[in-house]
Amino acid sequence: MLRASVVGLLGAALLIVPVAAQPPRPANPPDIAGEWTLTNNEEDTTAQPPLGDYLGIPFNAAGRLRSDTTAESIWGTPEYQCRPHSAPHQWRGLGGARILKEQDPLTRDVKAYHIQFMRSLDWPVFMDGRPHPPAWAPHTWTGFSTGQWTGNTLKITTTHLKDGYLKRGGPQTSDMFTMTDYLTRHGDVLTIVTYVDDPVYMEEPYVESTTYTIDLTSNVAMETCNGTAFAENGGTDRHHVPHFLPGQNTALTEWLKKDDWIPVEPTRGGAVTLYPEYHATMNGTSNAAALKVPMSKTSVDGAKSIAEQSPRDGQVHLLPVQGNIYMLIADGTNVTVSMGADGVMLVNTGAAAMSEKVLGAVNQLANQSVTPPVPNSCFGASCPGAWGWASPYMNSIISSPAPPRPIRYIVNTSSAPEHVGGNEKIASAGFFPRGASFGAAVESIGRHASIFAHENVQNRMSSANAPAASQPTDTFFDEFQKLPEYFNGEAVILYSAPTANTDGDSFVYFRHSEVIAAGNLLSSVSYPIIDVAKGGSLQGVIDGLNKILDIAVAEYRGQGGTWVVPGRGRLSDTADVASYRNMLTMIRDRVKDSIAKGMTLAQVKASRPTMDFDPRFGSTTGAWTTDMFVEAVYKSLQERK
Amino acid sequence: MRTILSLAAASAILAGSVAYAHHSYAATYDVTHEIKLEGRIVQFVYRNPHSFVHVATNDEKGASQRWAVEWSGTTQLNKAGVDKESLKVGDVVVITARPSRVAGEYRALMLTLKRPSDGFTWGSQGQQVD
Repeated sequence: MLRASVVGLLGAALLIVPVAAQPPRPANPPDIAGEWTLTNNEEDTTAQPPLGDYLGIPFNAAGRLRSDTTAESIWGTPEYQCRPHSAPHQWRGLGGARILKEQDPLTRDVKAYHIQFMRSLDWPVFMDGRPHPPAWAPHTWTGFSTGQWTGNTLKITTTHLKDGYLKRGGPQTSDMFTMTDYLTRHGDVLTIVTYVDDPVYMEEPYVESTTYTIDLTSNVAMETCNGTAFAENGGTDRHHVPHFLPGQNTALTEWLKKDDWIPVEPTRGGAVTLYPEYHATMNGTSNAAALKVPMSKTSVDGAKSIAEQSPRDGQVHLLPVQGNIYMLIADGTNVTVSMGADGVMLVNTGAAAMSEKVLGAVNQLANQSVTPPVPNSCFGASCPGAWGWASPYMNSIISSPAPPRPIRYIVNTSSAPEHVGGNEKIASAGFFPRGASFGAAVESIGRHASIFAHENVQNRMSSANAPAASQPTDTFFDEFQKLPEYFNGEAVILYSAPTANTDGDSFVYFRHSEVIAAGNLLSSVSYPIIDVAKGGSLQGVIDGLNKILDIAVAEYRGQGGTWVVPGRGRLSDTADVASYRNMLTMIRDRVKDSIAKGMTLAQVKASRPTMDFDPRFGSTTGAWTTDMFVEAVYKSLQERK
Repeated sequence: MRTILSLAAASAILAGSVAYAHHSYAATYDVTHEIKLEGRIVQFVYRNPHSFVHVATNDEKGASQRWAVEWSGTTQLNKAGVDKESLKVGDVVVITARPSRVAGEYRALMLTLKRPSDGFTWGSQGQQVD
């Protein structure tokens, strides 16, 4: 399924990315295929540093706090139990490495390498010059890799990675890092130099090298994971998120009781601790803050990379998701489209200013979907399925193709302008079946697509005097609402997320396509927008995300499977939703702790309870700043006291 | 002598089968503390990468708690003579374990397990979770 999705993604990428130039033909590079045994690296072979050992890691303050407060027992949450090692740790994991070649049978050029470890998924490295997917494509444990030979060295560039860790047991990475591996073969030895460039959590790229030796007799095993996805952390709360409050992880310096010759400061990481100049701090002639070192610069513009997941470029981009479902990225807001024999359903309609372009994209998609080229597989009037005077082939040639199926339903997950803005124009472009002689006689019936939403969406829109034609035609008030019949061959279910972003939010589950449109519950580019005045709360958002996690199922090793379309940002899966839920739970507990200590809103803001997540999701400008988010969190938690 | 040889052989087997967990035990559990759990097995998950014994116990207030005690994977347990039939739901067991580093979690790492009804034990002769 993932393969199919990736193929789909690449198909989408071709729509918007210039065709790549033909790659240069390889000039007889060394053969790196085979079974390799881990020989050594800069650390012990277990590659398991003690808890709190950040020596040699160029952490910034956010990365340090994120690592201090993340508990290793996060592995026990149902969504993470079967995840493979994070990509930066794979070369250091035990069990060896296998490198396979995928060759073009005609030219015998290497089209791709496949690298495998004991605790990894297959890691394909494409050598055919294909571009990397767009920024709104999903991130995976393995990421998306392309390779290029330079002399005897294979350079592998990997993007689209999930958040994880540099090493077992502590140092964390964000999901915005790129990884560059340089593989060089010297006889029977393979040297791998890895650059991890994480603009969110590091001051400069982290560099490590690892050595392997060819081993004709080894065979890389695969560790199975037949977990039942119960909550391994005990108790009966399957949504429990283990973590430490800032300053309360007392185990970080345990190892220094034994290695007491190591000063504490460099164990906290930071770029200056990596340079010879740092010695000056040891004899007291300087201090770390005053040091000037020739620091490497990150080559990744973090803010730009995050923004590209939800581009505000005035355009509509298309991403096929799975089954009937497509994702439109419409100037910073996602629209989910179900397309099939019954017609079109949209989950949200984007901003009003984008409705013409959204409609154009939907129509283009509808035309492509319902009038594909018809292969000629039968001749004559007796062919199965023939309707008319000749075979299907003749019909498709002589008669004109049928028009695309209409837009029949719109679902609004929220009353937010960026989700209902296109309602009026797009609903009026569609129609609902008028029931032949029953409804046809009544002029007002069937002239618009039906608009579904929670009743509080209608209340909000009505209160705001929104045009009548833009308001929901069918509302629900219960925990969930099923469409009365299949649409495009599947059940569609609306789930209420009460007191989440507002009091009217919901998410939509396409039960056969296995896709969830999460609305504003999920964003890969910002903290959730919580309108406390309209009944929103942080706990409501967390509850909504937990409900999504209860429904969604990973395809394999904690990724893929049920895809989740966020209100803004890249296409996501269960692990991404869990990561976002984990973050919000950590922030909730920090602010709750502060409230319990009697801290005022101003004091809580000054304590920066979101500091380790701000470089990834925060903002100091725009319509939803970190300051506004913290205030909403504080107020909504205070109300629940 | 036979006992000594058996223990030596078992040690060699265990040493040869070391495969570090995908997550770090030292980072997950507080190896400086030990807890004791007495209760009834409610689930035995014999699986990879790690097995789990779920035990219902009563806390100091008398409330029932469900503990998840992490054990070795199937290969390691099998070599130590433990298979999926070794424990049954309803068995009353006494477990010593390392607690989670996160306060409030009902999670622990198996040190020893004893079933008083028939004397079945694990961990008291040098076996350890790996």
